Amino acid sequence: MRAAGRAEERRAYLLLALPAVILYLAVVAFPTVFSLGLSVTDYNGGPLFGEGRALNFRGLEHYVRMFQDRFFWISLKNNLAIIGISVFGQIPLGFIMAYVLYRKLVGWRDFFQTMIYLPTVISTIVVGILWQSFFSPYGPFTRLMQSIQPGWENTLFLNPKTAMLPVLFVMLWMYTGTYLIIFLASLQKIEPELIEAAKIDGANEWQVLGRVILPALSGVLVTTIILAISGSLKSFDLIFAMTAGNPARRTSVLSLYMYDTAFRGAPDFPLANAVSTFMVMLSLGLIGIVRLLEKRLGGDA
Amino acid sequence: MRAALSAQARQKAGSRILRRETGLVSKVLLYGVLLAFAVMTLFPLAWLVISSFKTTQAFQLDPLGLPKRWYVANYPQAWRIGKFGTLLANSLLYTSVSTAAVILLASAAGFAFAKLKSRWTPVLHGTFVMGILLTIQSIMVPLFLVANMANLYNTRLGVLIVYTGISLPIPVYLFTAYIRGIPDAVVESARVDGAGYLTIFRRIILPMTRPVAVTVAILNIASIWNEFMLINILVSDDRLKSLPVGILKFSGALSSDYGKQFAALVIGLLPMVTFYLIFRKQITQGVSAGAVKG
Repeated sequence: MRAAGRAEERRAYLLLALPAVILYLAVVAFPTVFSLGLSVTDYNGGPLFGEGRALNFRGLEHYVRMFQDRFFWISLKNNLAIIGISVFGQIPLGFIMAYVLYRKLVGWRDFFQTMIYLPTVISTIVVGILWQSFFSPYGPFTRLMQSIQPGWENTLFLNPKTAMLPVLFVMLWMYTGTYLIIFLASLQKIEPELIEAAKIDGANEWQVLGRVILPALSGVLVTTIILAISGSLKSFDLIFAMTAGNPARRTSVLSLYMYDTAFRGAPDFPLANAVSTFMVMLSLGLIGIVRLLEKRLGGDA
Repeated sequence: MRAALSAQARQKAGSRILRRETGLVSKVLLYGVLLAFAVMTLFPLAWLVISSFKTTQAFQLDPLGLPKRWYVANYPQAWRIGKFGTLLANSLLYTSVSTAAVILLASAAGFAFAKLKSRWTPVLHGTFVMGILLTIQSIMVPLFLVANMANLYNTRLGVLIVYTGISLPIPVYLFTAYIRGIPDAVVESARVDGAGYLTIFRRIILPMTRPVAVTVAILNIASIWNEFMLINILVSDDRLKSLPVGILKFSGALSSDYGKQFAALVIGLLPMVTFYLIFRKQITQGVSAGAVKG
């Protein structure tokens, strides 16, 4: 009877857990490992096995090519710039506004929260095309600048030095709301009695912030920085719609660099697979750091 | 002595005034920042909607002002050129089917991980938790190659399989955590009554997980509806494309036809903005639930 119960439990476990596990492994784990394998070969499409197979071992050749490609470094630098705008722009702004809304320092809180979060829900493609038009020579931004400085010529998207600026601005516009929501949710978990007690003891607004609220939020702060790094690796759609990586691929990021090597011009799947593996390694490194922090901070980072 | 006292009193009064003044200054500053953000959201959207009612010529003459005549024809034209009927139907199909599949698969796996004993749970559950931070962007090209080999390129089934698979990590995590919070006695007493595990899952657990299911549904609808990168490489047939891929057409070949481009963008904007304004509370709750466990 007992043994039958165990067997039934095991059967039920397989039946319930396996569909999700198999699907996830097939869609995410398998391509990851597959790409690692292909990145050390010269496979560039066509059948993998049997007659006319196109697969020879090439070692780390494609990784060397990747590290020698200056567009790889340009893309990596842009990924870092995106982390920068999150850490120094979105996160502090999101926190300040969350704090202001949480402490009820202003009125119209629902309206402000809605307005700041609204950009996040709009399709990134729509956002990209909208802002591309906005910053283009025929758009409102040009008019605005010309009213300040007559004869101003709009070369934002043509000049390799400035093309990344509108992209970073739109990222600030789009994702500050996410951090606002995250900070607001964790602020609301702080017990109001703590703040009341500090106020009764004569603490002013700054002291409440520095002594009560910030210490309580240190875990979330780490979370948001991790989100910023993984968010930077995720960026693709917005740049694809806004600049497509131009001018001269100066606004590319790693994901777009991989896309370009595989799908624009002559396909170079071996290089794309090397880039993919490199990005997976970055992701895994990040996951490792999170694990480490969780252990050190006691499991709730 | 008296002088010292009055100096102290003066200082006190002064600091009170100072505090009131800094209060006013910081209030103005705070409203300034928040209003700037609100304007930054509203102005481009308002500009977009207004421009969508201009002919391309009228727009070129005056890109900022109100239209002299509100030109509505951009909308039916954009709708026809962009084949928005097909795009909308596909977006609805991809979003609804993948969301239903994610809820079913993730709740089943969550029940197994939370309430059934197996030495595999730490590894399997850990794989999903790890997947929360794995960026799908990094496997875009390998996914394309695998889909091609599996003969799933350019099929609705391929899109649905990929969408369901990549969406699983956060839902599995949320369902497992929620079902762990349900007392074991609920399952045990049903066992004593002779119910099988599948029946317990379907009849007892699944109805109890309604709050998580709502959160998961909202998160998934928002992300799949807007998904662009994967469908862009998994599908090339116009009849299989979703709204975001279809809209991109208006920034390429049709980009100089501003009126229609803006009308297309407004059409692309409306569903999610409406969805957000209706489910504002649930969306913000869902986002923080999904993100805080990063």
